[in-house]
Amino acid sequence: MTEHALYNPQAGDFEGVTVTSDIQQLTRPSLSYWQDAWVRLKKNNRAMASLCIVVALILFTLIGPLLWRVDPSVQDLDQISQFITFSKTAVITESQTVWEGITLDSFPAEPEEEPEELLASAKVEVVGSPTTQGVRLKWAPVVGAAGYVIYRNEKAPDPDDLGIPVGETDAGNIVGYEDRLKLEARTYHYSIVATDGMDEADAHATLGVPVAQGITLEEAQSRGLGSHVGETITLEAHPLGTDYLGRDMLARLMYGARISMFIGIVAPILFVIFGTIYGGFAGFLGGQIDRYLMAFSDFVVALPFLLFMILFKISFGIGPGESGVVPMLLALVLLSWPGTSRLVRGQVMQQRGEGYIQAAQLLGAKSGYLIIRHMIPNTMGVILVSLTFAVPTCIFTEAFLSFIGMGVAPPTPSWGSMCNEGIKTMLSHPHELIFPAVLISATVLAFNLLGDGLRDALDPRMRSRE
Amino acid sequence: MNTIIETKDLKKYFQIGKNRIVHATDGLSVTIGENEIVGLVGESGSGKSTFGKAVVGLHDKTSGEVWYKGELTPAHFTPSDYKKYSTEMQMIFQDPYSSLNPRMTVLEIIGEGLYLQGGFTHADIKEKVADWLRRVGLQPDHMSRYCHEFSGGQRQRIGIARALVLNPKFVVCDEPISALDVSVQAQVVNLLGEFRDTLGISLLFIAHDLSMVRYVSDRIIVMYLGALVEIGKADDVFFHPLHPYTRLLIASNPEADPEYERKHPHVPIKGEIPSPINVPPGCRFAGRCPDVMEHCHRVTPEVIKKSDSQGVACLLYA
Amino acid sequence: MKKTNNSNVLEVKDLNVDFSTYGGTVKAVRGVSYNVRKGKTLGVVGESGCGKSVTVQAILQLIPMPPGRITSGSAKLNGKEMIGLSPKDINTIRGREIGVIFQDPMSSLNPTMKIGKQIAETVKVHQHASNDEAMQKAIALLEKTKIPEAAKRAQQYPFEFSGGMLQRASIAMSLACDPTLLVADEPTTALDVTIQSQTLEIMHALQQNMGMSIILITHDLGVIAKMAHDVAVMYAGQVIEAGPVDDIFYRSSHPYTLGLRHAMPTNIEGADRKLMPIDGSPPDLFKPPAGCGYYARCPYAMRVCEKHNPEEFTISGKHFARCWLQHSSAPKVEGELFQIGHTENA
Repeated sequence: MTEHALYNPQAGDFEGVTVTSDIQQLTRPSLSYWQDAWVRLKKNNRAMASLCIVVALILFTLIGPLLWRVDPSVQDLDQISQFITFSKTAVITESQTVWEGITLDSFPAEPEEEPEELLASAKVEVVGSPTTQGVRLKWAPVVGAAGYVIYRNEKAPDPDDLGIPVGETDAGNIVGYEDRLKLEARTYHYSIVATDGMDEADAHATLGVPVAQGITLEEAQSRGLGSHVGETITLEAHPLGTDYLGRDMLARLMYGARISMFIGIVAPILFVIFGTIYGGFAGFLGGQIDRYLMAFSDFVVALPFLLFMILFKISFGIGPGESGVVPMLLALVLLSWPGTSRLVRGQVMQQRGEGYIQAAQLLGAKSGYLIIRHMIPNTMGVILVSLTFAVPTCIFTEAFLSFIGMGVAPPTPSWGSMCNEGIKTMLSHPHELIFPAVLISATVLAFNLLGDGLRDALDPRMRSRE
Repeated sequence: MNTIIETKDLKKYFQIGKNRIVHATDGLSVTIGENEIVGLVGESGSGKSTFGKAVVGLHDKTSGEVWYKGELTPAHFTPSDYKKYSTEMQMIFQDPYSSLNPRMTVLEIIGEGLYLQGGFTHADIKEKVADWLRRVGLQPDHMSRYCHEFSGGQRQRIGIARALVLNPKFVVCDEPISALDVSVQAQVVNLLGEFRDTLGISLLFIAHDLSMVRYVSDRIIVMYLGALVEIGKADDVFFHPLHPYTRLLIASNPEADPEYERKHPHVPIKGEIPSPINVPPGCRFAGRCPDVMEHCHRVTPEVIKKSDSQGVACLLYA
Repeated sequence: MKKTNNSNVLEVKDLNVDFSTYGGTVKAVRGVSYNVRKGKTLGVVGESGCGKSVTVQAILQLIPMPPGRITSGSAKLNGKEMIGLSPKDINTIRGREIGVIFQDPMSSLNPTMKIGKQIAETVKVHQHASNDEAMQKAIALLEKTKIPEAAKRAQQYPFEFSGGMLQRASIAMSLACDPTLLVADEPTTALDVTIQSQTLEIMHALQQNMGMSIILITHDLGVIAKMAHDVAVMYAGQVIEAGPVDDIFYRSSHPYTLGLRHAMPTNIEGADRKLMPIDGSPPDLFKPPAGCGYYARCPYAMRVCEKHNPEEFTISGKHFARCWLQHSSAPKVEGELFQIGHTENA
């Protein structure tokens, strides 16, 4: 303050001034506890991001199924374990029939004499239109062949790597084959290799076959997509792919969200309310009653969770493999309340000695008024934070239980059971595991960060103090 | 002068373990008159706060009696007892930060007493609160604000308004200025003195700042480890203390006067304040008293009246 | 301007400290200058929020920076500049040349370690002594602070000590390395008045015996009168009056100093002065006033005071006041014990 040039006062400057001291002027706007907490929460970027995720999640759960009207239990065995697919066209084919193949009468089944070398087939052709329902091939017979091996390659034709053998024919005159093995709508390269019964030929004939997506007539009719053979229809998109039974992942995730969120929100609300009442009583009454109440609370803490889950399931008469949402809810509520009760009891006991409680007593306040008007509002912060942390715990517990098969069982989707199913195809189709796992992680993380932010925002010590 | 409060051998003990009893207040018999300010001084462990709370009913009395205007107050106060006495006895609390509910507006805090009494409309309450805010030197439009926006001194005024809104005749002020800055202490002390004059109330002014207590009080009580050691007119106790502890207390009190301090070198003090748990028999101060005599360790001194208004509990005067 | 035979242990000049908070920047210390003489006590007195603690905490780098920040100024300990020192260098000074004690002794004591061991540790770190030597020194220090049965007490934990004892143990620890300067930040505020008297006496005796300088920060004018040789009165982040203790008390030259003294009762039998509180509260340091910080509460305010911060006007010798009333052209103001309006070497 002394870096500027020193001021040289003039004569008139020394006139006395009466200052009406603006002593009790309060300039900053008045904020209530919640407004102040909200202001502080808004400044916390992590917490606000988490809040957005939580809101998005709730919208996903509630409104999602209204916008994405796909039945999560519909199986489409043509489209198992697909990764993200967009709408694609499909051709209606005839119903499944067995193709009798092509047997040439004019060609010997067994070679009469051993040829020196087996040549490649002169010509390989497709019969009919190749769809994912089946690819029918026929080829020109090779002299001296006792049978043929059909290879299929998904990659570009490569003389060294013919791909996987999808089938073989037993005789030299059987020159037709239908491939139905896990066909997808792509180009396959088929190679026909003649064999003399023991060795395969070195030469081969290759044909590239673009396979179209096909759907049988019955299927198309039952799904209401079309009515005659040859018609081109559009199949629904699967924005998150399909699972191992061809069910739409997005729909399953939305449906699973409902289960997870139901348990994750209802259970905490129930046990936090109960814990608050219990702890509030214990803290307020104190003495012997408090001791007994807390002893019981400690006893409940010691009970093993999984054991009780199983006990409840059995006593509800739910066998293995059936869905047990209610037992899970019950177990969660009955075993999680002690934490909250201890917290609230501590707060209430601390407040009993506070000046404002005693002052209110002196003014004639009764116990009920003290609790409701004074203690609970000052405990709300703690209760709210406790609630926000309880939600991810319950969601994760439900996911874990469903994962090990103790909770929600298939076909009811829940994120945990979807993870369980996803494990089976983890190596070949990881998306079936990754999507539900990511959702669980994101939800739990978001609620935890939100709880952190809330706790900081509601902490009275961090408020501005004169 | 009429007596408004009389305590007879008031005791308050706390049991904090198997055989550990804290003798927080050990048999105090005092009278407080109408329109009188009685100061209560003592160091930590002296039990002055406990005494104040016991008089007003916030602590259950272990034994002894408290008479208010000739009527015996209950040993244990039920909520309806509190309500009955709320228009007669009140308390101003020590910590301005924890004695006001942070979730309530100033209007709600000061108006709570009226609300609990019943029979007041919302408009009535608002008007009375506005009136009291003016009387304690704040502005009526502050009533919609929350406490955390006020300074310590302002909060203490809110606490005073809350205590006085029901027009009590006796108010216990439990260390009302300890948490405040020096310049603000004077504001609060003057305000209390003013109310004593204009409203005719009696105050029990509990504090550990001797100079302030002497300034504001008519009489002073000195406590040590739960017992009353000296009582008398403020100036008498301060300038002519009788009890060795009182002398020690006053000598230790630093004066804002360098010359005085230089002329009065340090007074040696023995030992520490002992624990108030399981107090031994005999005079409590015997362990540290510069004038201790042999039988001080065995005989518990009673309060000896040296004159009409002065009393001292010391065997030196037996 | 070279000073020969400089007898100042600490020279603080024009220190400015800011804090960035979520509401803005608080200018907690605004151009503070004071000196601590060798072997003497400087009392820094002021009310809450005046910046008296922040000043020394900033110099000792005890405030996290950010949000704190020393924006300008210097602090020389025995001629050595302390502002801007690296944490390693400050560590060697703290504990060795400067000892610190706080209002709450538990802030400098580890509750899980025996007292003797803690003090011995400080000795070992700074003086490279052996375990035995360090423990001997620790016991000697406890005896110096008049803790009875020092050897036995050294084997006890902090929770076994009373408040007054803890403060003495904390003083003992700060003396472990024979510091030239002891910083005492409200050391007796939390203590009973009899214990306070004992503690101050111990500090006084130590000063006499060891020639140690002390900065004593407090809000209690009585403690200042008892202990200080020089006084600096702070208000709203500035030193508004400073000088020898007698000048401050008997020749107060700033309306705030006078206001403080008048807000305390005088204990003179038969002559009672009415307590005069100071109306209002200190200014908000988010937007410190351009002029004198005391303007809004000053009964002698003048027009110049509103917009222009007064400089430090010398009254006599080392006594100065930051007040326009001390300007040579200012009107004389009479009042009991308040002789201002003239400067000796105007």
